[in-house]
Amino acid sequence: MRGKVAVVGYGETPYDRARVERGQPRLTAEEYASWAMDLALKNAGLSKSDFDGQGLGVAGTIYPHAEIWSAEVVQNLGITPKMIIRADQGGASAASLLTQSALAINAGIVDMFLCIVADAPLSMPTASASGARTWRYENDYMLPFGMMGPNSIFAFIMRRHMHQYGTKREHTGKIAVTQRYHASMNPVAYLKAPMTMDEYLSSRVIADPIHLLDCCISVNGGLAFILASKEKAKQITDKPVYLMGFGECDNYMHGSKNRPDVTYLGIVKAAPDAYQMAGIKPQDASFVEIYDDYTIAVLMQLEDLGFCKKGEGGKFVEQTDISVNGQLPVNTHGGQLSAGQAGIGGGCSHIVEAVRQLREEAGQRQVKDPKIGIVTAIGGLAYGVNLVHNIVMVFGKEV
Amino acid sequence: MSASSETAEQYWSWTKPEITSLNKPFWDGLKRRELLIQRCKKCGEHQWYARANCIHCGSRELEWVKSSGKGKIYSYTIINMVVGNSPIFNKELPYAVALVELDEGPRMYAMMTDCYLSDVKIDAPVEVVFKDVASDLTIPMFRPAKSQ
Repeated sequence: MRGKVAVVGYGETPYDRARVERGQPRLTAEEYASWAMDLALKNAGLSKSDFDGQGLGVAGTIYPHAEIWSAEVVQNLGITPKMIIRADQGGASAASLLTQSALAINAGIVDMFLCIVADAPLSMPTASASGARTWRYENDYMLPFGMMGPNSIFAFIMRRHMHQYGTKREHTGKIAVTQRYHASMNPVAYLKAPMTMDEYLSSRVIADPIHLLDCCISVNGGLAFILASKEKAKQITDKPVYLMGFGECDNYMHGSKNRPDVTYLGIVKAAPDAYQMAGIKPQDASFVEIYDDYTIAVLMQLEDLGFCKKGEGGKFVEQTDISVNGQLPVNTHGGQLSAGQAGIGGGCSHIVEAVRQLREEAGQRQVKDPKIGIVTAIGGLAYGVNLVHNIVMVFGKEV
Repeated sequence: MSASSETAEQYWSWTKPEITSLNKPFWDGLKRRELLIQRCKKCGEHQWYARANCIHCGSRELEWVKSSGKGKIYSYTIINMVVGNSPIFNKELPYAVALVELDEGPRMYAMMTDCYLSDVKIDAPVEVVFKDVASDLTIPMFRPAKSQ
């Protein structure tokens, strides 16, 4: 699979929170999907009709909630694809669309795939509607027991990491502050105002030790990318970004099933597979785009990706410049912590940013002379563990 | 959450689980002041939450057995803000939820009760108590274990 498939175009709409009183648009997921498709097609120099007889990738939405969603999306867009793939891995949905569509292209079924993830969780009418239901195990065995969704689940993980390894809020704070700096250079980011360490440390407590500025910011938005076979890619663009390798691990429990060590994500299993396929070491990366629903998730994944030993993530971020100018640029777009988490589409921003960086189209926040980018995706908060779905992808400019 | 058809009573009621053929023995057990978890008849391993097969060996031969209700805290959080759950929890703020490691093996999320927040610590021994949070719902919570 190494270098057999390339990303040849991408689209990313601006992010908003449907605050009409502040002059923000209040759009539907359908509008964001259409907008993202348009941006990606223009970026690739293709037209919608080029995807008749090709592949379409569709991720779910928090709002609206429709189980048979692909049927709506394909009719709304007006495409007649040869096949549709649908992802439901939460934050890892976009990554799953990418790896699945790469497999379909490599199998020769189609030679292009248009993947769209758009969501409008902030456009929910408050009086009568609800978002996609959360997991049955959350409804039945977590909420009645006093849990408060992802904030509370990540609080247990962060507490445990602090307890086992002495990780401090100053460590996770450096991630939050650096990503905000990156977002200040990202035109589509929702939160662009500079953040200081003091602001991070004193932000209000949500579920201790999780504070407000440890959490991603929920937004509306649409993202899309176009994948093509190596041969087709060369016809479309002179700047293809190749998928060099990927790995996935679902429902990983480090240690035992009943008593896993929650400081290890399945990324620790997915990463070596991705590196082996790509023929790289983590240190070969020019930058990393790490799925960031919470600051501690970034720190733990730096460990799982092999940039440092388990437990040394705090020391690593303390001693490493993780800005776009530094030794290891992390989440160069500001990530979901600052640019925004467009519902289920949030994890697509890391893929789009990696492609943008490798094509050297990242403007002010461009990493110098990038060659290899590593992207991660995690999704689906498990009961008593951490994240169910874990995907690592390696992208490169040359095969 | 705040659908207009909802009555004030529903709005201020404890978040209810969906009682199913799979989990009914657990909820019935709580009303009898028993904390039940599943044990596999084939491999003998325990598990929580309710599943239709053993997550360890795959057997569908499961039985509900009484937990000692004793364990220790693996991790915990202090909830300061209600998000995506019943507004009734506003009345409890701030409160602790622990991830309790039961002596039988599995971990269980549960609220801490009958103690100070400063008593909630990793590795602290705890024991179950049963709280009737609604006329038709009993929830297991934990408190620091009485010294033996």
